Amino acid sequence: MVSKKLIAVIKREYIVRLKTKGFIIGTFLFPLILFAIIAGSIVLSMKNIQEPKTIVIIDQTGVMYDEFVKQLSDTLSNGEPLYHFTRQDIAPDQLETVSAQLQKRIIAKEIDGYLIIPQNVLETRRAKYAARSVSNFLEMSQFSSTLSRIGANIRLEKLGISPEKIRKEMDLGRISLDTPKITKQGEVKSSTEVNYIIAYILTFFLYMMLIIYGVMIMRSVLEEKTQRITETIISSIRPFELLAGKIIGISALGLTQLLVWGIIILLPLAVGVSFITQFSPDVVELFSYIKLVHISLLTIAFFVFFFVLGFLLYASFFAAIGAIVNSEDEAQQLQIYIMLPIIIQYLIFFTIVQNPESSLAYWTSIIPFFTPILMLARMSVLDPQIPDGLWLSVVLLVVTTYLTIKISAKIYRIGILMYGKRPSLKEVYKWVRYY
Amino acid sequence: MNVLTVEKITKSFGDFYAVKDLSFSINAGTMFGLLGPNGAGKTTTIRMIMDIIIPDTGTISVLGNTSPKKKSNLIGYLPEERGLYRKMKVMDLLCFLAELKSMNRKSARKEIDSWLERMELGDWKNKKIEELSKGMQQKVQFIGTVVHKPAVIILDEPFMGFDPINTMLIKDILLEQKKNGTTIIFSTHLMENAEKLCDEIVIINKGQAVLSGKLKDIKNNFGRKNIILEYEGDDYFLTSSPLIQKYDNYGNYVEIHLTEKANPQQLLLEAIKTATIRKFEIVEPSLNDIFIETVKKSE
Repeated sequence: MVSKKLIAVIKREYIVRLKTKGFIIGTFLFPLILFAIIAGSIVLSMKNIQEPKTIVIIDQTGVMYDEFVKQLSDTLSNGEPLYHFTRQDIAPDQLETVSAQLQKRIIAKEIDGYLIIPQNVLETRRAKYAARSVSNFLEMSQFSSTLSRIGANIRLEKLGISPEKIRKEMDLGRISLDTPKITKQGEVKSSTEVNYIIAYILTFFLYMMLIIYGVMIMRSVLEEKTQRITETIISSIRPFELLAGKIIGISALGLTQLLVWGIIILLPLAVGVSFITQFSPDVVELFSYIKLVHISLLTIAFFVFFFVLGFLLYASFFAAIGAIVNSEDEAQQLQIYIMLPIIIQYLIFFTIVQNPESSLAYWTSIIPFFTPILMLARMSVLDPQIPDGLWLSVVLLVVTTYLTIKISAKIYRIGILMYGKRPSLKEVYKWVRYY
Repeated sequence: MNVLTVEKITKSFGDFYAVKDLSFSINAGTMFGLLGPNGAGKTTTIRMIMDIIIPDTGTISVLGNTSPKKKSNLIGYLPEERGLYRKMKVMDLLCFLAELKSMNRKSARKEIDSWLERMELGDWKNKKIEELSKGMQQKVQFIGTVVHKPAVIILDEPFMGFDPINTMLIKDILLEQKKNGTTIIFSTHLMENAEKLCDEIVIINKGQAVLSGKLKDIKNNFGRKNIILEYEGDDYFLTSSPLIQKYDNYGNYVEIHLTEKANPQQLLLEAIKTATIRKFEIVEPSLNDIFIETVKKSE
């Protein structure tokens, strides 16, 4: 039977924080910001931010201009052509003077740039585009590939081969690669990219919970200590129950937040798919990706398992720190020691997701402090194949979590009644031994 | 009826004994003083009674119960280190404290309401703790100590930090609770309060009991007597008598501390040789005297 006192603590921790402005704002503002970003990017993609450009072309070959203009007939959203090309024919010895004139016109903003296609371009394979801005690399590569295509066509025609024929044959010869996974269940259609994204999302939630709510638990312990509340409370309830109540209450708060975010984010997505797809065809592609998601029940079960154990492991650490220190400042100094393993695993996260079967992945993911995030990441990438060392890591994680909770509870029990100077590691060790 | 029994409890921290082999028992309806100088082990003893610290050896029972769960509901505890959740409303906070003592919310509310009225905090019940003055917060905390009608109330240095008006209020409530049969234990190093309130005391020093029993008996049995003397004439006897250990002379009025085992009658004989005695009174030693004497002797 769960004790009534424990429930009272859980309720208090949960309700007091639920009512804070910070929580309410965080819970509802985060999805709103997310929506604003998505909506903003959709609006931006609908509205063409490109401005029409005026470009002067000096085509010394005399044969490439028409084709170039034809191929670059992109239009703006209002139907106007994007590029206004003007052809300027010059005598070869005029090039430098004309260039100088054009440069002046660029500075004066009469034109945006000029392109020089030298007569011997097919031999030198170099053309020149000078402009006020050459940082739009998409545009630059488009210019370059258009020129290349025209150049190739000319060369092919010289050899008496029809470029259309060649292009057709190349298209017909194109071969794409299917990438099914081989598992015990046989071949599974999947996409590594999608599983990669899933791994990222799952671990990101865990990561965020560990940090935000771990720190909240630490603060909660610290508040009772600095406000001298602890002794009143633990004269009525076992310290272990108080700690348990805190962790359960605060993690319930975290789950509430996740739930609210989930509903706010997914609901309009589910209702408004057709609406959104009207505006942004990219989303259709996204939905076809989601069909490729293949996450087995085992991975979902392990997500929950790692979530709970990882949270317990880190939460008890945070609680112990809250019990040892006397102020927020001291807490922040010690906090780094817990943040470090959390941050380190994010540094190796990407390497491991790309090589989930490497020995680096194996060894790091069986370290209990890394297991919840890294093993989960490996699992979701390899899914439904079970990563090496999974069961070993589970055993290690369970044992470590159990020991950590036991030691932390002891430190907590003593620490919450100790005021004054922050104890050294040696003193903390004494607490664990003697009390 | 025996309400609280402390039997041979010992607690050491490394080589240091905070409490050693301490025993005492308290009857129902007693006002009991746990006295001792700073660092004597009073708070450690109380924390062991509250199961906050676990003794190395020995047992503590409350109404025959030794299980922490049962004990905690029978006791109301006001620690020396006091504080409340600053962001909580008075009513919510007191309900929470009552729930921690296994009260249900409904009866807790009723009880809290009547206590708040009594403490003149009725208008504040939906205010946050941080909006209350220090004195009000102390009253709230006191309500939290007694709201579940405990059989035993334990107060660690209760008069520290209370203003005189609150001290009076709390003293009255304690006496009233005592009349209803509640056992009250408080620790203090201020003897004045203990002397006026306590029926029984234990004085501890360096973790060990050095004196215990009914205050009346202790005073009667205390070897040394004090004498108040009003006189006229030569006070030569004050300086010459070997019976006197210490005196406070106010001219015609003198308070005299006799040496141990000195006979007051002997002093009277010496005094009348040089002075006219108008008043000669043998008085009980003050608890303060007993305390100082006992603690010094035990060192």
